[in-house]
Order: sequence, then C-alpha cells, then structure tokens
Amino acid sequence: MTREEKKRLYELVQNPPPGSKIEAAKKDGVDLTLNLRRLRLTPTERSQEMDNALELVRELQRAWAQINR
Amino acid sequence: MTAVKTNYRAALKALADGGVNFVVIGAYAAVLQGSAQITQDLDICYERTSANMKRLAASLAPYHPRLRGAPDGVPFVLDEHALAQGMSFTLETDLGDIDLIGELSALGPFSQIVHDAVRLPLFDGACLVAGLDTLIRSKRAAGRPKDLRALPELEALKELHESEQKDKKNR
Repeated sequence: MTREEKKRLYELVQNPPPGSKIEAAKKDGVDLTLNLRRLRLTPTERSQEMDNALELVRELQRAWAQINR
Repeated sequence: MTAVKTNYRAALKALADGGVNFVVIGAYAAVLQGSAQITQDLDICYERTSANMKRLAASLAPYHPRLRGAPDGVPFVLDEHALAQGMSFTLETDLGDIDLIGELSALGPFSQIVHDAVRLPLFDGACLVAGLDTLIRSKRAAGRPKDLRALPELEALKELHESEQKDKKNR
C-alpha cells in the first residue's frame, strides 16, 4: 500500500461519508484503526499475527486453568 | 490432555501442499482480509469428492485429527470413509482447532463458494478465501447474535477494500 493510499484510507476512517458502513461501524464502537493497520500487512503477516494472538490467548487460558486447579 | 501450539499457517500450507480443494471461510477468512477479530478455530469448506476427501484426510493425518470435545477412547480415524459419513466435523489437531464443513446451505454448493472466493497470496503459494461479500451473506443468513455482531466490521472492511481498489485503478 502506498503512502497516498494509507493516507486516504486513514482520512476515510476519520471522516467517513454520512450513511456509509464505515460511519455505522464507528458508531457501533468498532475501532477501525485496527483494521487499517492490518490492511497494511500481507495476508501471510495477518495470519502470523492471528496465530501469535491466539497463542497468547491460549497461554492465558492455560495459566488461568492452573491457578484455578 | 496436551496443550496445542496453534499454527493455522502450517495447517493451510499442509492442505494447499496436499492438493486439497478447499476454501477458508468464517472468521479466519475475515482475518486474512484485514479483520481485527480473534478466532479460536480455522473453518474450512471442502469439496466432497472421494479423491478430495482422501487428500484432505491425508494432509491432516500427520497432525493427529481427533473429534473435539469427545471423551477419551472414542474411536475415530479421519479418512475418506469417515468424511463421507458426515458433512461437518469439529476437530482438534496438533496445529489447533479445525472445522471441516462440507456444505453451507446459505452460500450454495462448493462450486459456488469457489466461484465467489478470492485467491490470496499466502506463504509461498495462494489460498482460496471466502470474499467479504460471501462472509457478510453467511453472517446475515446465520443470524445468531455472534454473527450479527461481526457484521458492522465486515461491512466497513468491505468499503475500505473498495476504496483501496478504486485508488489502485486511478493510479
């Protein structure tokens, strides 16, 4: 993604057109800056991030289970 | 029970390398397209031909697929015969939880899901992934609270993708 594309998408999220789905999502509490960051990654990088995040969740679940054993 | 180290990239690579005809669906498909959700499983829609089910079973075999949540001792071998007996399987594997779905009534037959899928570059190859339109349609059709909660993000993501594509065309 070029610098210009990044800038345009950022502006779109900051000032979404009235009636757009982007505006609706923001009103719904969706943090679209998270999506902007992920859109800058390749699908492989997104997959890696997901696996890493999930691994952290699982670690926390295991730790929680141990505490409560 | 042993802790599993999740590696869905390895699972997708194993399926692709094994020549399996499949489409990534569900939340993982959304993640690959920029969703910020965290999902605990990998959903795969697979072609239900005998040859493909054989390839699917062979690709997952090294990762010891077993029925998720089933009591110890329940006999199960994932092979083409087992796949032919059912439509959907919720599995636990050494790479994480994988759901195999043979048919999604809301989206039509596998050929339609393939037709609507997008090919994304992943690892050294490519992978078919249900497009955002398809994911939105399936969430609407499912209509459960958890599906409906995912809709605003998916719809916004679709607009962001469209804007990105427009930019690329105008360049």
